[in-house]
Amino acid sequence: MRDGVVITGYGCLTASGADVSSTWEAVLAGESGIREASTWDSSGWPYRLAGEIKDYKPRELVADRKLLKFITRQDVIGLNAMTQAVDHSGIIEHRDGLADPTAFNDRTGVFVGSPATKYRYQHDYLGPLAVAAGDLREFGVRAMDDVHPMWLLRTLPNNVLAYVGIRYGFKGANANITAHGISGSQAVAEACRYLRDGAIDWAIVVGYDSASELEALPYYASVGLLSSRGLRPFDRSRDGTVLAEGAGALVLEKREAAELRDAKIYGEVLGSSVVAEAGGILSVREDGDGVARAVRLALADSGLRPDQIGMISAHANGGRDSDAAEARAFSETFGASAIPVTAFKWSLGHTIAASGAIESILTLLCLANRRVPGVPTLEELAPECGGAMVSASEQAPRSPVGIVVSRAFAGLNSCIVLSSNA
Amino acid sequence: MSGPRAVAITGIGMVTPLGNDVESTWNAILSGESGVREIAGFDASGFPTRIAAEVKGLRAEEVIEDRKSLKYATPFSLFALAAAEEAVRDAGVRPTAATAERWGLVSGSGMMTMEFDFLQRFQREFAADGEIDLARLGAEGERFISSSEFARHRAVAGQALLHQRYGIRGYSANLHTACASGGQALGMAMRVVRSGQADYVLAGGYDTMINPIGLAGFCLLGAVSTDNDRPNSASRPFDRTRNGFVLGEGAGFMVLEEWRQARDRGAKIYAELAGEGNSLSSYRITDSPPSGDGPIQAIRGGLEDASETADAVDYVNAHGTSTPMNDLSETNAIKEVFGDHAYEMAVSSTKSQMGHLIAAAGAVEGILCALAIERSTAPMTANLRTPDPECDLDYVSDGCRSMQIDTAMSNSFGFGGSNSCLVFRSPGRVDSRER
Repeated sequence: MRDGVVITGYGCLTASGADVSSTWEAVLAGESGIREASTWDSSGWPYRLAGEIKDYKPRELVADRKLLKFITRQDVIGLNAMTQAVDHSGIIEHRDGLADPTAFNDRTGVFVGSPATKYRYQHDYLGPLAVAAGDLREFGVRAMDDVHPMWLLRTLPNNVLAYVGIRYGFKGANANITAHGISGSQAVAEACRYLRDGAIDWAIVVGYDSASELEALPYYASVGLLSSRGLRPFDRSRDGTVLAEGAGALVLEKREAAELRDAKIYGEVLGSSVVAEAGGILSVREDGDGVARAVRLALADSGLRPDQIGMISAHANGGRDSDAAEARAFSETFGASAIPVTAFKWSLGHTIAASGAIESILTLLCLANRRVPGVPTLEELAPECGGAMVSASEQAPRSPVGIVVSRAFAGLNSCIVLSSNA
Repeated sequence: MSGPRAVAITGIGMVTPLGNDVESTWNAILSGESGVREIAGFDASGFPTRIAAEVKGLRAEEVIEDRKSLKYATPFSLFALAAAEEAVRDAGVRPTAATAERWGLVSGSGMMTMEFDFLQRFQREFAADGEIDLARLGAEGERFISSSEFARHRAVAGQALLHQRYGIRGYSANLHTACASGGQALGMAMRVVRSGQADYVLAGGYDTMINPIGLAGFCLLGAVSTDNDRPNSASRPFDRTRNGFVLGEGAGFMVLEEWRQARDRGAKIYAELAGEGNSLSSYRITDSPPSGDGPIQAIRGGLEDASETADAVDYVNAHGTSTPMNDLSETNAIKEVFGDHAYEMAVSSTKSQMGHLIAAAGAVEGILCALAIERSTAPMTANLRTPDPECDLDYVSDGCRSMQIDTAMSNSFGFGGSNSCLVFRSPGRVDSRER
């Protein structure tokens, strides 16, 4: 039996709440943070629903005001969730009590699920392009005059990783995962790998995104992935997803390290998996192959049988193909011993690179509180989704172990297995 | 077998500014060529830097016979496909129905996935005066973009193409830690094989930032050399007159394989990928501190992970970017970790000839370490003519050197402070250990 990886802190910022407890309460109360996009004038847009952060005030979300010049909106969101998690864990108080913090800093890693680049970053060049009118030489001259010298650094896909390090002085192993919808889950999985390998003893995990940016709405709609009416997972009338902003962060530690510092342990990451369907960037296999294999591998990694699982946090992005395939995978894997299924994107929207991290935290709360929230958007379970034991009303987990399923473009699927300590 | 599984490098492939495959790149390294020229891909005359190390003459239709995939490939995905194909062919093994789920893909990819042409069209269509017409974007945006453009702009576009082309159905990761991406990807891939999550991993990195937006970003920062009138010597790592790096582009891929399985099938093994050190500098976004703190932990971590002593290292392929701070910080890190041995081993930067391949750099330079071991040759640091008193190691500045190399190391340090150090060993050392 290998060393356990425990969860000693968490934090999030979502469309439904400014922290974990308000997000959790919103989900329990059946409230959604999805609205018409209001960070720009979206009036008249055919697809205008988005899960935006409410009352976005960067100066309140990130303490270091100088930093705001060097980072973008999604970095602010990620760093806010990260700070909540680090504060919650008490690891900084622990470190500050050490005679020599060098070893602690060297053995604390940072693992991030990042949205990579954004269309909006390039908008700084629209002015120079307009003036240059197709003349590249003129564009070069104008860009040097008009664009902020720090442009490249502001747009780095690994800014959150870098600034977690700079903020706290952590110097351990790190990874910045840019794998679309599984990024947040894979950040958890890779943190566990480096913890288990003995390269580090502590890890900060962050998943963040601002998926509902200006250009993303029409472009996602162009490939048929967005709903103009709302995200209704597994429902007969589901017609697509809703993009959102958000971030989730966790503090993970080797059990031994956490116990040594008398940390409050909220739960444990028991196992994980990532698999690819290999069918192309936008393809989703009808038979749920990727989800089924991801779940089986994660259970094997955890040393658990399907009947030991107490609940499922489904990817449930509201897509016609993806939800149906996922439900098929659940019935294939869990058979008659149907496991309660819930979902969170109907409330938070689809935060893409953040979703696996946020949903891992919410799953931990489900297990700790022994409550599997209902999915209030469910009016009529689609026949092709019959394999998912999802309900509009609350259910109870069958055991203190839950799984979190995440899916992404490129046919990527991941599964995280968690247990609660409560 | 006791202990963790050893990881063999059984196939290699690359596309670099020095050549579109392994042999042409290696031959160019031996003959001291430079891949740096005046930028040919677009009119760079308005930028302060007008030189770069571009890939030359790679023809898309020779890389992908299948027209449909081509629609989904940006230039850097094309580099990835070409390098991966060479690596898979070289390994002499590819996924089958029986093994597809035991194959993984771990890659480091670049940050610029939106094409400049698309941005130009966007500007003409929706921002004629430089400001976005929101009502028009809302009404017309859906029809403006094609589905293949949408696909190409995803950060996972290259990952999707590689999975599909080879039918790789197991573990998958796509990483971006700027200039450390390729090194970190090889390190993670090694751990995936070691842990038994996969028996084979196609691992590497691919990137280009040689486009008007990428060049603008680096010029604005003042990070790239402006030696426009002498491109061949613009990249001169560890030289006292160094004044910034030179942008390169390309891809490097390896097939990593569980050692005994590779031996059992009679595979050619270039080297063992023996250890990974991975650290964060947590100092500044663009630099490590002069003391080498950050890189020091990565180098120590790599040695420890490979169960190797510092004295055993024969050759270091340095990050060596040719920026004033990197080369000093890296030199000091090497001195701190290796002590007197720092002066007894060969340390060189192949960026002196091929420029900085950003997210691909660590992958290509890892392959060069495997070749250095296989061919008993340490690549050189070209253009080092004016010694820097603070950079006083043996940088192999007088041409490539014939020498036995049992243990080699590759450093990659990224913007954002991520550091990767990989340790490579000659195959004979593993076989004697495994016996």
